[in-house]
Amino acid sequence: MSRTFHLEIIASDRIFFQGECEHLVITAIDGLLGILAGHEPLVTSLPTGELKYMTDGEWHYAAISEGFIEVMPDRAVILADSCELPEEIDIKRAEEARERAEEMLRQKQGIREYYETQAALNRAINRLKISQKKFR
Amino acid sequence: MPNIREIRERIDSIQQILKITNAMYLISSSKLKKARNALDSTEPYFYKLQETIDSVLEHTPHIRQMYFDRRLDIPPEKRKRGYIVITGDKGLCGSYNQTILKYTDKALDEAPELDNCYLFVMGQVGRMYFQRRIKSGKQAYVDGEFLYTTQNPTLYRAAEIADIVLDKFKKKELDEVWLLYTNMVSSNVQEARKLQLLPFERRHLGKSEDGTLKKLPKASFVPSPEKVMDYLIPQYAKGIIYGAMVEAFCCEQQSRMTAMDAATNSAKDMIKELSLLYNRARQSAITQEITEVCGGAVSL
Repeated sequence: MSRTFHLEIIASDRIFFQGECEHLVITAIDGLLGILAGHEPLVTSLPTGELKYMTDGEWHYAAISEGFIEVMPDRAVILADSCELPEEIDIKRAEEARERAEEMLRQKQGIREYYETQAALNRAINRLKISQKKFR
Repeated sequence: MPNIREIRERIDSIQQILKITNAMYLISSSKLKKARNALDSTEPYFYKLQETIDSVLEHTPHIRQMYFDRRLDIPPEKRKRGYIVITGDKGLCGSYNQTILKYTDKALDEAPELDNCYLFVMGQVGRMYFQRRIKSGKQAYVDGEFLYTTQNPTLYRAAEIADIVLDKFKKKELDEVWLLYTNMVSSNVQEARKLQLLPFERRHLGKSEDGTLKKLPKASFVPSPEKVMDYLIPQYAKGIIYGAMVEAFCCEQQSRMTAMDAATNSAKDMIKELSLLYNRARQSAITQEITEVCGGAVSL
């Protein structure tokens, strides 16, 4: 059993995970970031992406959309808009959302709407990607 | 002696009102249940967010970042203050709207220059209230394009609102942003609260438990503090606004439920009293008729 640190993942609508964790891998702005116990204090923001954490030698995957993380040597806190397990993702809904976003991107839009649609598209694609994980 | 028909009409009209208040009571109690659930699941996020940001700020090195700009070049009385006020969309909810509007008025009175106050009002009641005040001369600028409802708060709406104010802050149309909302202390106690959203304040010295100042280690920011703050602050603003919206919505339903329950009860009391009066009037009318009939019979 390796050293653990306390991990809290809190989504805006629920507490997603709270407990001891051995290894955490997040997608930060400029790439993947692995965190073990005793990591130096670190703050970074998380775009829509993938997240995995190891408890009791087992990896858990989750889809996360926009948030940030604060890491201290003995603990880590992730605050995000939403966080979902692969089996919780509604594939059909995600696919519909992707199509809707793609459709919107073909239209002429204002700059703000454009970014919003792009963010929505990212979320949908990310969900679809994560939802594949459970079949492995 | 009051007229029998008059009393009858009065009872009927109270009964109509009773039906309405009772229905509103039922609706708001079911809405409250939903709002409570939302509140319970959002509260951990809301508090953790404030806590984490506080601790992040303690570890932030000195940086030049637009959201930290305290506009020191502008004298305090000239700074443009923005207030996001969360009120209800409808009345009939006891003192809920009154409390938050009074509170806002107080905050506006404290502001040095009313012309430099900008209000972003959520909810129909608050918007009407401040627009009426503009007509009466005493004014703070109300953003007419800011049309958001407080019903069923969503993260998406919160993001839009955060976007608007952050944008105005960046363009220097606002120098300070405050958030005013009603906080749920317990199910019976509510209080109006205000929270400063912008500019961000950095505390490099934290207080330890014995009251002495301690120097906190600086955390590293990936890729750079400025970059992280660019993402983090809109995220924070969105989270805080969403949390406040959920709190306020729950408070509104709670106070509407209480108010409507009280109204239903007092309507029932009134009906009871009035029907007593009605019966008495009817009795005396009958007695009078009998007396008249008897009197007539005697005189024959």
